[in-house]
Amino acid sequence: MSTAPYTASRPAPGTPAAAIRIAGLRVRHRRTVALDSVDLDFGTGVHGLLGPNGAGKTSLIRVLATVAEPAGGRVEILGHDIGDHRRRGEVRRHLGYLPQDFGYYPGFTVREFVAYVAWLKEMPADRVPAAVERAVARVGLADRIDAKVRGLSGGMVRRVGIAQAVVNDPQVLLLDEPTAGLDPEQRVEFRELLRELGASSTVVVSTHLVEDVAAACTEVTLVDAGRVAYRGTPASLAALGESAGGPGDHPIERGYTAALRAHRAPDERTEPTARTEPTARTDRPSASGGTTR
Amino acid sequence: MTRGPLLYARSRTLPRTVLVLGATTVLAVLGARNLNAYLDPSRQVPVVALAPLFAAAVIGTSLHSASDELDRTAVRPWWRRRLVHLTALTGCAAVLLAATVYGHPSPFGPAAMVRNTLGCAGLGAGAAALLGARLSWLPVFGYVSAVYVGSANARDRLVPVWAWPVQPAGQHTAWVTAAVLLAAGAALYVVRGARPEGRHA
Repeated sequence: MSTAPYTASRPAPGTPAAAIRIAGLRVRHRRTVALDSVDLDFGTGVHGLLGPNGAGKTSLIRVLATVAEPAGGRVEILGHDIGDHRRRGEVRRHLGYLPQDFGYYPGFTVREFVAYVAWLKEMPADRVPAAVERAVARVGLADRIDAKVRGLSGGMVRRVGIAQAVVNDPQVLLLDEPTAGLDPEQRVEFRELLRELGASSTVVVSTHLVEDVAAACTEVTLVDAGRVAYRGTPASLAALGESAGGPGDHPIERGYTAALRAHRAPDERTEPTARTEPTARTDRPSASGGTTR
Repeated sequence: MTRGPLLYARSRTLPRTVLVLGATTVLAVLGARNLNAYLDPSRQVPVVALAPLFAAAVIGTSLHSASDELDRTAVRPWWRRRLVHLTALTGCAAVLLAATVYGHPSPFGPAAMVRNTLGCAGLGAGAAALLGARLSWLPVFGYVSAVYVGSANARDRLVPVWAWPVQPAGQHTAWVTAAVLLAAGAALYVVRGARPEGRHA
């Protein structure tokens, strides 16, 4: 098989040092291991983070956003080790983060909420009003800027979340399921925004929607059970799907299931997964090398 | 208005909190009226024990943040804002409540009121750090109620230590307990912040 499932730190030809460098990352969530010995680099562009529920995508994004503490390993963002508390402020200034569910004070309008986040990021006060309007316009909510956030629909609240994440023009943007709750048209517009942001900054997007990956991502990382199961481009993942014949209705979906199976192959006997279709269980693709250590 | 500190104040419902502290003060004034405390100073005990309890409940719940996950990405460390938030409200409550019993030269006068406000606020802040801000009133309420009911007939040597809210102002041990509670609770809150109450709790 031509596509290597996962290579630790791919040299990025001709690009400057990666904005995010992760080495030996280990994260615990409550009593379980959410991520184990993860090595990843992310440079400029849009990086799709795929994987089943509970695979560790949110844990990874939360560590990168400096809101969760890793149990081990080293994470470097924009050249700063985020384990060093004194350097975190500098990292956070250039970070945008959309949590899976972000809370907001119910009395805030869109403008006030986004301005509050701008204040958290220590943006100069004189630049905040213009930056807030620009961020809100970028997500297409300019006409609702003075509406209360709690009165907006779910999709609009999601867009408010995206607006707060980009208000400081972050160099590193972390989006945890940004397209959940968006209608198809909004998703198309959002992908356009993603491509625009990815041209100059490092964007990490976790998603369940393969269309998002196919349309907007320059690179795909597949996480399963706390480990990196696959790394490549959307095209290489689609090619894997075609050659390995995983089930799915979209080339990337087929690549997704094929890569997951290849990754799980070593321990398939011990835990048969319920989500595998019965018809496809026998003709498992010959694994092109798992990623067990 | 999009100025940062103002937005912070609104997001923590500080205007409402100050209003409710004011209402607590009015209640305390009404409660302290016509007690004829000069006949028996201990008639003021209910006001001196319960008004700080209400104030601490109000302060504790104001420590709640709706946007905890995003707050954690703030560039500036939070401890300074937390310290200002807690000391400003506690100081405000102590002054307001002490004024309600001002002019009653009694062992259960302004000094006891200040002691109880500080002790209860510390308890509330500590509870916010350990349990979450929205439930922080519960330990304060439970503790002070238990003391109020349980200390009436208690006679052991440790009574001033645990029944500090119902001790006369001259009882030094009660001041020590209140001070320890304030220091420990405030330190816990200032360092750790209110316990997150969302899904990542």
